Amino acid sequence: MEVFFQTLVAGVLKGGLYALIGIGMTLIMGVMGIINLAHGQMMMLAMYLTYVCFHFLGIDPYVTLLVSVPCLFLVGVGVQKYTLNPLLKIESLLPENQVLMTVGVGMVLTEVARFIFTSNYVSVKTSYSDATFFIGGISFSVALTIAFGFACALTAGMFWFLLKTDLGRSIRAVAQDAEAASLMGVNADRIRTITMGMGAGLVAAAGTLLLPIYYLFPDIGGPFTRKAFVITILGGLGSTVGAILGGVTLGLAEAFGATYIGMDYEDMMGLVIFILVLLFLPGGFKRLTKV
Amino acid sequence: MKRPGSVVWSVVCCLLLACSVSARAAEGIKVGVVLPLTGTEAQFGEIEWNSFQLALDEINGAGGIKGKPIELVKEDDTGKPDVGRSAMEKLITQDKVVVVGGGYSSSVTFAMAAVAQQRQVPFVVNTGSDDKITEQKWNYVFRLNPPASEYPKALNSFLGEVVKPQTVAILYEKSNFGQSSSKSFAAQCEKMGLKVVLKEGYDSGAVDFKPLLIKVKAANPDLLYMVSYLMDAGLLMRQSKELDINPRLFVGGGAGFTLPGFYDNAGKAADYVFSATLWTETVPYPGAKAYFDKYQKKYGHPTEYHGAEAYACMYVIADALKRAKELTPAAVQEALVHTDVMTAFGPVKFVSYDKKTQQNKLPTYLVQWQGGKLETVWPKEIATKPAVYPVPKWSERK
Repeated sequence: MEVFFQTLVAGVLKGGLYALIGIGMTLIMGVMGIINLAHGQMMMLAMYLTYVCFHFLGIDPYVTLLVSVPCLFLVGVGVQKYTLNPLLKIESLLPENQVLMTVGVGMVLTEVARFIFTSNYVSVKTSYSDATFFIGGISFSVALTIAFGFACALTAGMFWFLLKTDLGRSIRAVAQDAEAASLMGVNADRIRTITMGMGAGLVAAAGTLLLPIYYLFPDIGGPFTRKAFVITILGGLGSTVGAILGGVTLGLAEAFGATYIGMDYEDMMGLVIFILVLLFLPGGFKRLTKV
Repeated sequence: MKRPGSVVWSVVCCLLLACSVSARAAEGIKVGVVLPLTGTEAQFGEIEWNSFQLALDEINGAGGIKGKPIELVKEDDTGKPDVGRSAMEKLITQDKVVVVGGGYSSSVTFAMAAVAQQRQVPFVVNTGSDDKITEQKWNYVFRLNPPASEYPKALNSFLGEVVKPQTVAILYEKSNFGQSSSKSFAAQCEKMGLKVVLKEGYDSGAVDFKPLLIKVKAANPDLLYMVSYLMDAGLLMRQSKELDINPRLFVGGGAGFTLPGFYDNAGKAADYVFSATLWTETVPYPGAKAYFDKYQKKYGHPTEYHGAEAYACMYVIADALKRAKELTPAAVQEALVHTDVMTAFGPVKFVSYDKKTQQNKLPTYLVQWQGGKLETVWPKEIATKPAVYPVPKWSERK
């Protein structure tokens, strides 16, 4: 029984972090209708920022959130403004132009990181990196629990922002129908730019929270882009609540797969769920929650 | 901004050109080296390349071979077998090297060895440790490091004489090296009458090893044996601490557990971890300690067994070149067969035993992290500190 509960805890905590990675992508997906394939690479960038702040300035990773999130917001804004928005204006047979551009942006980010930091692994060691507390014999990682708390808070904040604020309403309007929103006086280009920035900022938070318990090298982005993609599809495109469900589902699937089938099938479990959802629930969890 | 940049570039290009011209003028003996200089194994590749250079400078400084300097031609295999193959082809056909050294990962080394044999150019393997590399009856392939199945030799004698455990759990990375060494360790455990209660592989790069470690905890083995590369090794130890897993000893099966980066990443969780290793600076071979000090002085960070293998490889090649009747691949192969030389890594002599041919035979060692330092603990004759065993429980550590 202890094995079962420990697996459950591991899955849920990891799922919280996954959700945070997924929300940014799903937001971008909802508003712009494209998959941001540089998502994991943006997270990598935030992780290097965190590493630099910790290693050279001695700033705690949790404080670095105040640096990495705004910085990545600006990066996201820049990417949208100078690489993606211009493509919108070009008539093209391929609407996937922007997706291809994000692939390119991702490659540039990876290679720039490799150029500056080399391929070597780095890690950030804090006092809480391997600290734990126990509840009824079940071990909780302090860093993961804090990350989970942050993920919940950020998601709740996000939800409130989208529902209650002016800007949030404009974002939802553009997501539902960009043309109609423009006719109502919403500046769709500006909304897209802000959304991209917010997506990048959210994944920056995920990266900064992940770094104390993981490690970092320039190629780390790719696997996380794939994870975010799976979560976005699981949750239903553009759904914030769906992304949380998707993230936790992926975390649980991986954890239980690893415990009861085999650690070497960890990644496979996530993808099996992915295919099952595509086959039997093709709109993702959004279909169930309606938000 | 643009102009000074291009000026710098052209200066650099000119310098490079000048270098290659002057090198050609010196008419050195060309020796190929293939290592992973980029990619995930780059860290090991760098240590080995630095060691090759260190040895090269000493050999050339002492007058080279028959009055000629050795010239190393380095190629990057990026950790991929297909890239390794074409690197080997290039060295043989374009650079016309007489002998090749290096070979880090087992899968890449195996692919390269096949090319060397086909093209009849001797290849001195210094790290690739999959057993099958020297089991193919390839007469142009020599290996100076022990094969993967012999890595835990010292560990086995330590277990037999001191620990006498009953149960073992084995975790390994699903790579050629991980599978081959975990398999042979499991077989040896059975021979010694140990019960393997858990044996599981994982894919490198996982965030969370807890599902795997929970099972280890439930199985409660006396000994936890892990075959992992650097960062996975660090995470495994950190998460073992988080889950409060307390076997009587933690053992790493070479690779990641002996690198300084392991302690950097795992921190205090790395303390008391045992690891099989092929070399430490305290081994009783002439030049071992000197090599360690020279490396530290020149590159500013410590070296470990991979570096010693590369350093020794350069000396073995130089020795063969010295004895070769002429500087052709065939003559160097002939000279390598009769190698009998002492190096910082140990005595090198290519012999045949069991299914293996042209394989060097060496003892292995057991080291343990104690207070951030890697101490040799077994065999007793060369131990720098007594082994701390059984390791203290996590809750009893400071």
